[in-house]
Amino acid sequence: MREVIWHGRGGQGAFTAARLLGAAASLAEGRFVLAFPSFGPERRGAPIRAFTKMDDAPIGDRSASAQADFVVYLDDTLLDEDWQRELKPGGSVLVNSARAYDDPRIVSVDADGLSSAVLGRPIPNTAFLGALAALDDRASLADVHEAVRLYMPEKLHAKNLVIIDAVYAQFDPARGGTAAEGDPACAGLVAGDPAGAAVAAEGDLARAGVAGARSQDASGEGALPVGPYPAAKPRPVSRAAGVRIPTLRSGSLDPDYARTTCFEAGYLVAKNAGWRSLRPVIDAAACTGCLQCYLYCPDGAIFKASAADMAAPPASSQAPATRAPRAATPAQAVFVDYDFCKGCGICVKACRFGALFLVSERQEQRETSEVAE
Amino acid sequence: MPLNAKTIADDEFFFGHKACAGCGASLVVRTCLKVLGPKAVCALPAGCMSAVGFNFPQLCFANNSMITPFAATASVLTGIEAGLRAQGKKPEDCTVVGFAGDGATADIGLAALSGAIDRNDDILYVCYDNEAYMNTGIQKSSLTPFGAKTTTTPAGKNARGCLTQKKNLFEIVAAHGIPYAATASIGYLPDFMRKVERAGALHGTRYLHVIAPCPTGWGCAVDETIDVAKEIVDCGLWYLAEYEGPQTLAEQAAAGEPAAQGEQATKGAPAIQPDAASGGRFTLNRNPREFSSVEAYLRRQGRFKQLADEDVAAITAARDAKWAAMRRDWA
Repeated sequence: MREVIWHGRGGQGAFTAARLLGAAASLAEGRFVLAFPSFGPERRGAPIRAFTKMDDAPIGDRSASAQADFVVYLDDTLLDEDWQRELKPGGSVLVNSARAYDDPRIVSVDADGLSSAVLGRPIPNTAFLGALAALDDRASLADVHEAVRLYMPEKLHAKNLVIIDAVYAQFDPARGGTAAEGDPACAGLVAGDPAGAAVAAEGDLARAGVAGARSQDASGEGALPVGPYPAAKPRPVSRAAGVRIPTLRSGSLDPDYARTTCFEAGYLVAKNAGWRSLRPVIDAAACTGCLQCYLYCPDGAIFKASAADMAAPPASSQAPATRAPRAATPAQAVFVDYDFCKGCGICVKACRFGALFLVSERQEQRETSEVAE
Repeated sequence: MPLNAKTIADDEFFFGHKACAGCGASLVVRTCLKVLGPKAVCALPAGCMSAVGFNFPQLCFANNSMITPFAATASVLTGIEAGLRAQGKKPEDCTVVGFAGDGATADIGLAALSGAIDRNDDILYVCYDNEAYMNTGIQKSSLTPFGAKTTTTPAGKNARGCLTQKKNLFEIVAAHGIPYAATASIGYLPDFMRKVERAGALHGTRYLHVIAPCPTGWGCAVDETIDVAKEIVDCGLWYLAEYEGPQTLAEQAAAGEPAAQGEQATKGAPAIQPDAASGGRFTLNRNPREFSSVEAYLRRQGRFKQLADEDVAAITAARDAKWAAMRRDWA
């Protein structure tokens, strides 16, 4: 049985992708699939999982997959140190990231960048259908196209097919892709069929008037950068350092008073940074220290600190999060905790002095990675 | 010294939660706990704030907190308070506080709340009102306003959203003769912080009803939460008011304190007659000379998109009638 585990955040379309892959893999006679999600108290942005199981016989085991041939991370912040636990021997991890990873089993797909370029906002799910169509033999590109046509609203077809084709081209060994090498799951890769599928897609795209978006990958040159967005420089994986979680002064707790169950706020919480597509940035020169952004932040992700506090960060942190101090002025009284900011933009609206503005998160990440290099 | 962004506690007591970006309710909990401090003990029923705050093994509360059955917020608060007192573990500055949504307060938990007020248990009950059952995916509650589209009051060719009026819960609570009740909006946080501080300092049952917009359910952008919460007050569809019950008035009289700090009171308005029925006193904290446009407030939200002009006119007329009564009786 071929299994795929999808990790995503509510709103990223993990379950939709799991279903579409299942639909594509079940189009041929004698193929059986299951696709289902698993989530707890889900919110837009909260971590969820979904599963696709594919086989040539009816599938009796309806429980969640413990290990899979492909583990997909629609959000790279969900990829933790335990990632190998869910991977079958010889399996691959696909992660939505512009970074390159040291481990050859982890393959990056810049799905956010591509979907932002094509859809106008980062909805990464369908990009991975293109990757799986290339890397896995259960669903061909033509079948994925058919599944999209059958199960997605019509107005979404053209652009999502552009995304799928672009990523497929990136991974197709026939076009010089690299990711599939040595992956046994790719052994039976279908190379003949896609030509016809591509023609069919081209027809759809021409009708939708977005054929231009395909121009770059059609050339087949330069395997990685696809689409009109700039190529990202590979960089090593690093969990962001310089985390500043505002903490409770534990000394203020009465020692006689239920001390043992009192934890700092944010105890063991996973970061919320991956929820954000826009990043608030403070213009230190314009900040008057009025604290309205701090007051109205629903997440408490803006904290009070003076420029002097921030100018001397702890030795362990060479963080992108602390890039602000370079220009900090005495008036600036607040900083943004980028590990927990969800990018809602309330602080920008709350600022009457134009000292806060929103920038593209992806752009910002690229720039800080370049600075770091 | 009044509470404001500078004087409020630096510590975050509700942090790292998994609420949607731009969530109004999470700002209610965050702000309230920053005022009440680390010794407050929280109880939350099934609802957004318990769902996003307790994700085992993650904990977003610094305070002792627990989840209650849906209908039992006020009863659990009663039990916590009695238990702490019985064990001698309740410091003077410990507030036992509940955070419940509009459904858990006005529908499912109303009996428990009424019972707690009747017993005058020493608890603070905060209702974060996002005007529908948002945790389960936007179903109508009895605090959903007329005309709002929810999944159980859909809008389409033959339906125009919620057909019932928003339940007047503040006055229902006040009619118990509760020591202290107040309305607030996260669009006016300084007012809310003052009321939390006031409620925290009083004894007996206290109730705060806070408007907390939900971008997901209201159909507005995630950065508009605060603007919308301001505008609902500015256009007069919500009001900032306080109610002091007979117990609080008597305590004040004994201490020789001045009346509430609302605009009316500070302007030296003539003494207001106690509300005859409950023996308490209402104060209107904000009494704008002119309202902003009701239509502009409604039209910026997806949930009101289907309203016809006559619906908007009816909502405006209802607002005017409500304010005429409030100005007559409370101001």
